[in-house]
Amino acid sequence: MKIDPETCTGCEACVPYCPVQAIQIKEGVAVIDDDECVECGVCFRSGACSVDSIQEVPLSWPRVIRAVLSNPLIESPDTRIPGRGTEEVKTNDVTGRIKPGFIGLALEMGRPGTGTSFRDVQKVTRALAGMGVEFEPQNPVTFWITDKKTGKIRDDILNEKSLSAIVECSFPLDKLKAVIKQVQAVAQQIDTVFSVTTCVKVAPDGSLPTDKIFKELGITPYPDSKNNVGLGRPLFQFEEVSS
Amino acid sequence: MTHSLHRRGTRESLKEDYIFLHIPAKGHNDAGHEPKLQEFLRIALRHDPKNIGTILLGNMYSHKIEEVIDAARGVVHAVFDNPEAVTAVLKELKEADLGISTVVSGIFESVDECFEKAGLKHHTANFSLGIWGNTKRLPPDDILEVTTMCGHALIAANLVKAMVAEVKAGTRTPEAAAKALAPQCACGIFNPARAAKLLAAMAAK
Repeated sequence: MKIDPETCTGCEACVPYCPVQAIQIKEGVAVIDDDECVECGVCFRSGACSVDSIQEVPLSWPRVIRAVLSNPLIESPDTRIPGRGTEEVKTNDVTGRIKPGFIGLALEMGRPGTGTSFRDVQKVTRALAGMGVEFEPQNPVTFWITDKKTGKIRDDILNEKSLSAIVECSFPLDKLKAVIKQVQAVAQQIDTVFSVTTCVKVAPDGSLPTDKIFKELGITPYPDSKNNVGLGRPLFQFEEVSS
Repeated sequence: MTHSLHRRGTRESLKEDYIFLHIPAKGHNDAGHEPKLQEFLRIALRHDPKNIGTILLGNMYSHKIEEVIDAARGVVHAVFDNPEAVTAVLKELKEADLGISTVVSGIFESVDECFEKAGLKHHTANFSLGIWGNTKRLPPDDILEVTTMCGHALIAANLVKAMVAEVKAGTRTPEAAAKALAPQCACGIFNPARAAKLLAAMAAK
């Protein structure tokens, strides 16, 4: 994003729209801090600028990943999915991505609202790689992990930032306690925040395989939830496992 | 794995917040899916949604409703503020048998009750374990209750503060302030009805 200093009136109307506070008034005009800007496009789309000074500029690699991850109106060229996520639980009734006996884990770096650097993302991918998890192959971040065994992310994007970046993986349920402890440890080593999501197949009797494990870990999930109701067709045929 | 999850707030407030996603599975049932997403939106519109949207275009506060329906592709959303509407939409969806994956976000027990009343069951579930890491960088909780209603974090904390100031000054109603926030949440999962109540409460402090 760019603000044309020739036409900007310095009215400040655009300033509060920036989710990462990258717009400041300097010498009477609004200026975008290139390092902090995550290319989400909110300032441009907001219509806050009455003189159309805010401009989208073409982005090249590696800066383009800021827009791919931060602007949900852009489709990822790697995953062909808008935004920074995957189909995950949304289509699990059809794809069978998360099977009984397994758990999906998503650590959404930089959410809510703090943004993340890829150096912080790499700290988390390294921590998870050490636990032998399987990184979700359709997730954009996974495309940029050069070594799945170590969690190393390609060097040329480490100085990039985004509004959020989801580190997404799955593993057998019996690893959950160890993985959570590893995640709790790496949470102390980063400068940003992340929102933690788990994903499980609900048993036919309506029970959740994670209830007992969370209780043992002393973790109480938040009250909100996201639920696939099984209306997709053709329905994936799971082999249920005993808990 | 997350954008309609991680909404913050009290149970009482979250009981007025439900989000539907309707999405085909790539490579499985996405061929010719657009009319089915449009049909989902028409079903939702019969039950007074507080928002509808489609990814890659925007929502009913940034575009006309017919434009949103015409542009339905990839994934569409609808937001409701009461469980009765959720149940009614689920019953119509079950009857319509569109064959497209449907996700409902909200308090687990409330959603469970809606599923049961509609004769449906949970298939797969996401849960939020909260926000970890350097939480000192987060804005206050009351601001987060509003900003987290945009799952892509496109509603700035400073914009919420500006809207609260306007409500406090009497230059905008809470409802108008909430509608001013809504367009920023591009895919349309922001709940302006709930936001108006939260903004009014903040302005009254």
